[in-house]
Amino acid sequence: MDRNQITKWLKSPAKMANKYSLHVIYFCTGCGIIEIPPVITAKWDAERFGVIPVATPRQANLFLIAGYVSLKTLKAIIRTYEQMPEPKYTVSFGSCPINGGMYWDSYNTIKHLDKFIPVDGWIAGCMPRPEAIFVGITHLWTLIDKEMADGYIRYRKNYAAYRRNQEMLFSNLGWPPLYSIDDEPEGGSQEAGVGK
Amino acid sequence: MVTTILQSILSVLSALVIGLFFMGLFRIIMARIHWRYGPPLVQPVIDIIKLFFQRSVSHGIMFDLGLILSLAGSMVIILFMPFGNGCWCPLSGSGGLLVILYIMLLMPFGIALSGGAGGNPNVSIGISRKLILSLGYEVPFLLIVLAVMTRYKSISLVEIVRYQQDLQWGLFSWPLCLPGIAYFLILPAMLGIRPFDVASAPQEISSGPMAEYGGKYLAFVHIEHAFGLSITIALFVNLFLGGADNILFLFIKMLVVFVLGLFVHAVFPRFRVEQAIKYLWKWPTALAFVGLVVTLLVK
Repeated sequence: MDRNQITKWLKSPAKMANKYSLHVIYFCTGCGIIEIPPVITAKWDAERFGVIPVATPRQANLFLIAGYVSLKTLKAIIRTYEQMPEPKYTVSFGSCPINGGMYWDSYNTIKHLDKFIPVDGWIAGCMPRPEAIFVGITHLWTLIDKEMADGYIRYRKNYAAYRRNQEMLFSNLGWPPLYSIDDEPEGGSQEAGVGK
Repeated sequence: MVTTILQSILSVLSALVIGLFFMGLFRIIMARIHWRYGPPLVQPVIDIIKLFFQRSVSHGIMFDLGLILSLAGSMVIILFMPFGNGCWCPLSGSGGLLVILYIMLLMPFGIALSGGAGGNPNVSIGISRKLILSLGYEVPFLLIVLAVMTRYKSISLVEIVRYQQDLQWGLFSWPLCLPGIAYFLILPAMLGIRPFDVASAPQEISSGPMAEYGGKYLAFVHIEHAFGLSITIALFVNLFLGGADNILFLFIKMLVVFVLGLFVHAVFPRFRVEQAIKYLWKWPTALAFVGLVVTLLVK
């Protein structure tokens, strides 16, 4: 913590604390799981940025999705995201959640993660180096400062569209809607990108 | 009256500050042992500020009340705990060690009641492990406290501290060194650190009793943890290391004990539950029992 940031701390403690205490819940598949252990252990020590892994979604405020997302695990991702307390941020790591990556024509993975949950930041690459996570986190700090990391607000606003996309894949989601889905705002469906 | 209230607030606040400092130091020292740089010292405070600004989910009235019970229990113990002899122990005239023994049970029980309302299977496993572990360390702990009370013929912590300052520290006097070593052996179990972190094992049962806490609830759990650190180590210092004249010396003694405990935490892997019980009922209990018998005979 810098000493010249004290005025910032006094002005908006919530924002600053959110920046410097990111408790991460990791979702890792395939090569994503290879890149995470060096990040949180001795080699690249994420804890000096205040980033520590936690075990349950209730304690987390950053959701890091590393690796491809299959249809089966998407359900777990949505549940985990909805259980996290607000304000919450999502960062997807690697090209698979961005556009399918090397699983582009697979029958069993989804191509665009942000149709189903809002994503605040993307780290492109196949796979990105662990340093990219730190670049991503410093970018996320900037976004939080400018109040542009508003994924959870978008999710609340466009919940009907997100829910429709989720139900398009799973006929029976198995849990009730998180927010009311009756009052859909204008243009919500375009923003959330309906259709696969 | 006013001084008592002021002392109560001050002792609770100082226990909180010491506990938070220890939590920060814990993470830094662990990082250095891992050959890492580690977070800033104020990281637990940043975490708690963040958690207070988060939206949190409650799981019913018991979920709230159990946590409050646990937090209140730990605060009440601090009022009975001498933080520096004579100056900051607002309720030292009444109760003493016996009250501390009773109220110390409230901390795990409050968390158990509260977490149980969450209905998460990981929480149930964590709670059962935590209560079994407390069953394990309560037996040697009671024997230790009995030995100390027999030796000094007093249940008042203030008087025990005064005797030790007049004569000799408990840990270095003959019959009491055995219960002292036993207390140090069960210290990791009381603090919930390795090798006894079965209850809050994040890799096995998703941090156990804390699995359903988020936002303000988790912040209160962190604060309760800070109080727990202060209480357990301050009790060791008061019982065996001669207490202290003021809070600064108490803090230095607590720091030494805590860092020694940390090294144990850094080196050892985790016991399974039955291994923990086997260990706790064997060596610390035997040492404490022998200490109690010798104390009775020497008298």
